[in-house]
Amino acid sequence: MNSNVKKLGITSTGGIGAPNKKTLVIKNFKQLPKTSDTFEEDSWNKLLSAIQSIQNKQPTIYTQEELYRTVENLCSEKLYSNLYQKLEFQIDKQTERSLLKLVNQTGDIITFLHLINMCWQDHTSQLIMIRSIFLCLDRTYVIQNNQHLRSIWDLGLYYFKHYLLKFPDLVRKVNIGLLENIQKERNGDRIDSDLMHSLVKMLTALQIYNTFENEFLIETDKYYTIEGGQYMNDNEVPEYLKHTQDRVNEEYDRSIRYLDPSTKRPLIAVVEKQLIERNVSNILSKGFNNLMVENRIEDLSRLYSLFQRVNAIKELKVAFGGYIKQVGQSMINDAQKEATLIQDLIELKDKLDNILELSFSKNQILVYSLKESFEYFINLKSNKPAELIAKYADSKLRSSNKRMSEDDLEVVLNKLLILFRYIQGKDVFEAFYKQDLAKRLLMDKSASIDAEKSMISKLKTECGTSFTEKLEEMFKDIDLSNDLMNSFRDSNQFSSIGIDLNVYVLTGSNWPVQPPSTVELPVEFKEYLDVFSQFYHKKYSGRQLKWQHGVSHCIIKANFPLGKKDLFVSLFQTLLLYQYNDKSEFTIRELQESTKIEIDAIKRNLMGLLNSKTDILLRRGKQKTQPLELDDVIEFNSKFQHKLMRIKVNSIQSQETAEENKKTNDAVTQDRQYQIDAAIVRIMKDRKALNHNTLMTELFTQLKFAPKPVDLKRRVESLIEREYLGRDPENPMVYIYLT
Amino acid sequence: MKVNITKWSSVSTWHWDVNEECCGICRMQFDYCCVDCKVPGDDCPPVWGTCNHAFHMHCILKWLNSNQQQQCPMCRCEWQFKSDQK
Repeated sequence: MNSNVKKLGITSTGGIGAPNKKTLVIKNFKQLPKTSDTFEEDSWNKLLSAIQSIQNKQPTIYTQEELYRTVENLCSEKLYSNLYQKLEFQIDKQTERSLLKLVNQTGDIITFLHLINMCWQDHTSQLIMIRSIFLCLDRTYVIQNNQHLRSIWDLGLYYFKHYLLKFPDLVRKVNIGLLENIQKERNGDRIDSDLMHSLVKMLTALQIYNTFENEFLIETDKYYTIEGGQYMNDNEVPEYLKHTQDRVNEEYDRSIRYLDPSTKRPLIAVVEKQLIERNVSNILSKGFNNLMVENRIEDLSRLYSLFQRVNAIKELKVAFGGYIKQVGQSMINDAQKEATLIQDLIELKDKLDNILELSFSKNQILVYSLKESFEYFINLKSNKPAELIAKYADSKLRSSNKRMSEDDLEVVLNKLLILFRYIQGKDVFEAFYKQDLAKRLLMDKSASIDAEKSMISKLKTECGTSFTEKLEEMFKDIDLSNDLMNSFRDSNQFSSIGIDLNVYVLTGSNWPVQPPSTVELPVEFKEYLDVFSQFYHKKYSGRQLKWQHGVSHCIIKANFPLGKKDLFVSLFQTLLLYQYNDKSEFTIRELQESTKIEIDAIKRNLMGLLNSKTDILLRRGKQKTQPLELDDVIEFNSKFQHKLMRIKVNSIQSQETAEENKKTNDAVTQDRQYQIDAAIVRIMKDRKALNHNTLMTELFTQLKFAPKPVDLKRRVESLIEREYLGRDPENPMVYIYLT
Repeated sequence: MKVNITKWSSVSTWHWDVNEECCGICRMQFDYCCVDCKVPGDDCPPVWGTCNHAFHMHCILKWLNSNQQQQCPMCRCEWQFKSDQK
């Protein structure tokens, strides 16, 4: 075969005694070897029979090796063009034949799917075998001419596609069959997913998958449109959510199992659109509030993750906020639950936080919505919540609340502070907090000074130093007083008194002002105070002391006929009881005349002494429930007894009276007026002239509380009266700043 | 019955011994401090002139420092501190 001419001359010099040269000559063939004339035809016949055996699934007579060589030989004789054409023709015919068999196939569609799948499998496996025989052709001829020629594999696919499209019934039936199967699976039947996988692969290989995909997506859309409507109507929201999630997973799974990977995204999108997006408002209106009420963490997580798929967090936010507002509003407006309101709000907040964390993965939009909604409803009832928050803090910081550990207390206070953050009327809170703090400090009712200080520092970080300045000064006053008392106790004056006198000297401006009390003290009482006053004046000249008898309290030893007792009483109660040292009955009017205590205060303090548990005094001839009258006779209870040695009667003192409450509220209102005045003047001084509406908007942004427009208007008028402002003579809507 | 007091926890507030309620310069009550101070107390006491007008010490000093004539801002008498504050 090799027609190259080679001439090799090998010369070698021999060893000792062999000097002569030897030459090896290789000569050319005399004649070039020729292929036989029938070489091409013989070869082809050999190959053709092989092809046919393959196509008929029979064993070939020749070995693969032999066939391969035949092709190789044909190729080296450069006979490939013919060979290629012949092969192509064979593939063409065979494909047509096998597909034609399917054209008039009747019977059910599943059988058809199996048949066509089989046909496809055969076709491809045959193609693989043929290709391995004709590999040489593929590697030489086709590669050299790859612009015009298809590889053997591609030829196979080409003709398969060609005939499939030529008999459009086939493709249609394949598509219908696939879709029917999928529908079946969606309805819960089992189907042969290997078959599906194989057919889908066929469509992909033939590049006619797109047509199927389109139809599939349209079908899916239809299917879920119906299901989305119906399932929603027939089921509760949690079931619907669960179902939807299952559907999404199912379709995802389907796309992995037998669809082309590129279908996954549009498929899931269709499901999401029909099952979730279209029903967002339905889901929210039908079942969201229930889920919230029942704290269904799991269902809410599901809802959240589904909504997140379709970008419906905004809608969720509206519903979430709406729910909070609705619940909060009804809590706030329920006057009967005022006592537990703050506790309830803290619990609500805890619950919502829990949902946010576990179900809504702390989505910032929703976290913000929570804050916004709380701020909205908690400020609906202007000042009340602020007052209640202060009272709640008081109840927790009081010594009567000893059950709670420091750590628990800290937790509660932190939660309370979050509510505090929401309220606008921080000044109201401050006023009430101050009032209660004053009582706790002066009456030694504070559970723990550490807790008090920690609360103050919390408020400080929340509202700044100026907010807590006064409160901190109160602590300083107490400390100063304690120092003062220590040096007083060391002095000679103290030993001359004979009772344990403790005096708090406060800076008037730091403490909530008490109404001045004009009481008639017994002589010895006055002397005690005088001793202290003298001591004080020596230390601090130029100062005078005003006594706040309303908050002072005493321990007195009482010799009752049935035993001695120590009584913890208010100063006023002491004064009242002192009257009974001489006489055993008085009318209220007489008591008032001799003690000069205000009548309301007398009544309040008497209540403690007339109480059924501590009935040191008795009211003659009247029911306990009837209100006290001036002419009621109050007599000493000679039969008084009590199981305890020390009896606390002065709890009345630490309670807030309606009058005090009103005073605190009034003080806040008064303070706000000054703030409004100051803000108006500040703005006008800066802007010189401003129309009414602009001034109002400026004020709303500057003021820390939410003022009523009427009040603002009144303040503007008052400022005009006081000639800080004037009206523009040309435009009555414009105010001008007067200098 | 006989009752005897053994312990008395009394409360009082201290005030400057001033007849006027507020300082004529800053218009703040004497119970509060002048505008430059934060807390009332010995750091911000009231002072009297021989004319018996009282001001926050800080306020009148500021006034005197900013004026050529050393006059009481209330009555224009020549300002002299009253040595004994009573």
